[in-house]
Amino acid sequence: MKNKIKVFRAMNDLTQEDLAQAIGVTRQTILAIEKGKYVPSLDLAFKIARNFNVTIEDIFQYENAPLTVDID
Amino acid sequence: MKKNTFYLVVGCVALALLAIFWYSVEVHSPFIVEAAFIVAIAFIYLIRKKVTDFIEDERTAKISEQAALRTFQVFWVVFCAFSIGAVMQILYVPAFPREKLPVRAPEILGPKMMGYFQLGLLCLMIFLYVGFRIYYARKFGDWETDEE
Repeated sequence: MKNKIKVFRAMNDLTQEDLAQAIGVTRQTILAIEKGKYVPSLDLAFKIARNFNVTIEDIFQYENAPLTVDID
Repeated sequence: MKKNTFYLVVGCVALALLAIFWYSVEVHSPFIVEAAFIVAIAFIYLIRKKVTDFIEDERTAKISEQAALRTFQVFWVVFCAFSIGAVMQILYVPAFPREKLPVRAPEILGPKMMGYFQLGLLCLMIFLYVGFRIYYARKFGDWETDEE
């Protein structure tokens, strides 16, 4: 799971501490998400996205498995 | 309540428990220290809720959850193995009188040693939890540093 939190923070001129306070988590959690050490829950992902007024897909990208559909 | 005040209260409770433990040994009554321990833990849980500057989010909750789960997964096996052995020793009954069996149960651990062994198990549980907690805290980026 990749994310662009750092980019959006820079665009909105927010520190990790500011973002953490805005969504009610610790600064260490924001840092862990940015570094890909921790994958946030859907609830937290929505909170982060709404804080920047964007959709979840704008911030988080799931790149590991390509989406495939089997058609018989 | 502030975090430092909470730690101070916990320290005082620990000291009080130590004094009660000493008294309990003096009067040969284990129930005093057992009851005091339960009351002390309940009290600590209660005042823990009143601390205002503890920030617990889903990541810290997940670290605690994973550490507790792994501790349980390891500990119950060790504890069960010990308990089964202890129960077998207590319930030792010669089932086949025709055979020559020893009258007394073979003593693997005496009652005193069992107490020490249980204390060892308790220490093992604490070490396991602390170890797993450090492992998961590291895994979920607790000691990550940033340029910020």
